[in-house]
Amino acid sequence: MRVDPERPLRHPRKALGSLGVRPEVGNTGFVSETIGVEGVQRPPLARPTEGRVLAGVCAGVSRHLGIPLTSLRLITAASLVFLFGVPVYVFLWLTMPQSDGPALVKPFDRRVGVPAKYSGERSGGETSGGDQGSGVSRGRLYLIGVPVLVVGGLAASGAIRSVAHLSLTLPLLVIGVGLVLVWSRLGSAERRQWLSAGDRRETRIRTAIGVLMALMGLILLLSQGGGVGRLRDVTVGVLVVLLGAGILGAPFIARFLETLRKEQTERIRATEKADIAAHLHDSVLQTLALIQRRSDDPKAVQLLARAQERELRSWLYAEQAATGRTLATAVTEAAGEIETLHGIPIDLVVTGDRPLGDGEETLLRALREALANAVRHGAPPVSVYLEVGPTSAEAFVRDHGPGFDPATVCEDRLGVRESIIGRMTRHGGEAQVRRLQDGTEVRLRMSLDAPTAGADSDGSDGNDSDDREQR
Amino acid sequence: MTARVVLVDDHRMFRSGVKAELDDSVLIVGEAPDVDAAIVVIREQRPDVVLLDVHLPGGNGNGGADVVTGCAGVQTENDAPVRFLALSVSDAADDVISVIRAGARGYVTKTISPTDLVSAIHRVKDGDAVFSPRLAGFVLDAFGATAGEIAEVDEELDRLSAREREVMRLIARGYQYKEVAKELFISVRTVETHVSSVLRKLQLSSRHELTSWAMQRRLL
Repeated sequence: MRVDPERPLRHPRKALGSLGVRPEVGNTGFVSETIGVEGVQRPPLARPTEGRVLAGVCAGVSRHLGIPLTSLRLITAASLVFLFGVPVYVFLWLTMPQSDGPALVKPFDRRVGVPAKYSGERSGGETSGGDQGSGVSRGRLYLIGVPVLVVGGLAASGAIRSVAHLSLTLPLLVIGVGLVLVWSRLGSAERRQWLSAGDRRETRIRTAIGVLMALMGLILLLSQGGGVGRLRDVTVGVLVVLLGAGILGAPFIARFLETLRKEQTERIRATEKADIAAHLHDSVLQTLALIQRRSDDPKAVQLLARAQERELRSWLYAEQAATGRTLATAVTEAAGEIETLHGIPIDLVVTGDRPLGDGEETLLRALREALANAVRHGAPPVSVYLEVGPTSAEAFVRDHGPGFDPATVCEDRLGVRESIIGRMTRHGGEAQVRRLQDGTEVRLRMSLDAPTAGADSDGSDGNDSDDREQR
Repeated sequence: MTARVVLVDDHRMFRSGVKAELDDSVLIVGEAPDVDAAIVVIREQRPDVVLLDVHLPGGNGNGGADVVTGCAGVQTENDAPVRFLALSVSDAADDVISVIRAGARGYVTKTISPTDLVSAIHRVKDGDAVFSPRLAGFVLDAFGATAGEIAEVDEELDRLSAREREVMRLIARGYQYKEVAKELFISVRTVETHVSSVLRKLQLSSRHELTSWAMQRRLL
């Protein structure tokens, strides 16, 4: 009765023993396990699908901790008979994942059968003699198991006798649950990391606090007298125990959250990948097919390639959904349209940006017109530079054609001058056509200080197709 | 004088395309498809210029910037440093900035014409900087020159001087160096000096917008 925590603490204590309590600190019984963690990779704590009697719990535990299987089964069977083993068994059954691989269970009953590799790695005189094969020898298992059985049996009968003792069993169960969870969920690498030299101090402190808390809780629980303060004692005891278990279980919680996050990221990534695949199929592959079919027409091929490039680029480097149309996006769009229409590549550079207003709209129209002219009458490369400052916007359209002198009035160019220079000046901007040594450059400038008065209601308003008709 | 060039790009098709385009004044002495191979080839060949793709597998995962870092201090037979010219389809500002800040002497897009590429290679070989219109636009934006921020002193690292701004604007408008020189009534040599000093500022400036801007905006 006094010692009945023994059974639930069995796993925890083992965990602690192998987790960090150094050989000189810990019980000698656990020395070999400490080495086990650092030396040999422990098989995961999982229920094998073959070689099981009931649910494979014993087989799994035996495999994981290196405990002789038959002896463990005997002890477990006995504990089941005494009933107190039932919750432990059921709990392990529920929490231990089923191993999907083939049965790798190596019965640890026979030390003879253990590969020499294991015994070789187990070097040094720290291990007690004869225990070189697996984690715990049969003799020691019985040494621990039989008292546990006795005490557990007593405890179980005691617990059954008075339901009130639920307050006693429950916290103990909680500790057990927490610790087994911690142990079983940590991968071997994490276990090592947990014990690693880097944060060994932290680990030690955490373990010490956890153990201390658990012990304090137990003391409180066990020393409860049944007086007036009993309820309070129990409450405090339970709280302390829970706190202790929580501290011990913190890595598990962290790991759980981490896994959750990782899974989420992976899912998002998978969705993104599917999106990309779908997009590439719809756009790039289709265009490539088209290009192959029209490979005899270089102009068409170039057009297709440019359009596809633009589309892919905007998709890849798309800025986060802008609030409404801006001057930069509108100009980019216009340049793209003209490029598609005429099949001449346009190099566009934009710096700065601002929302689209009346003044910007005018600039955009004039720029569009200038661009259309450049690709129609000039020669590539055609480049556009749009600079949006705080008080004004400037745009330059340059081509490398033969150029023309704006002074020599040509019938054909009149409409151009009207829809570019005229439009800009009407709205408070300015436009210049410069003839360079190599090509022509149209410079458009619009002050955007004050909002432009009046809507674009004059003749040149409306659709640009009208302008083109007039020419 | 021929320029010895190592071509680093993970697309074999692109490498052969570039090789076919270049004329006799450029000699391809080596090729590499990833960061690690590139570093080996460059250290062995010690070329005048490395044509470097921004996105490369291997290394520390920083692509072209890793190659530049990994080859720091490698010199050609004439004791000139090996120079890097970034050549990429990417217009993402963070790609551009990482390679330039790692030490590349210029950045041009893969759509550049063969003659322009050859002249860019020679320019980089001579220690000058090569700015594409896009890179110039990026510089103007990143240094706040568009918003009218102008350095009082030329040496100021975080802003462009008035002259540098003019040069950058003309380059952004698609002007060649000699056209810029003509436009501003200065010599081509002076234009090159201005461009080099902008490159220096781009590499050394701690202007925080440079990074934050690159983070949130893509260069196009």
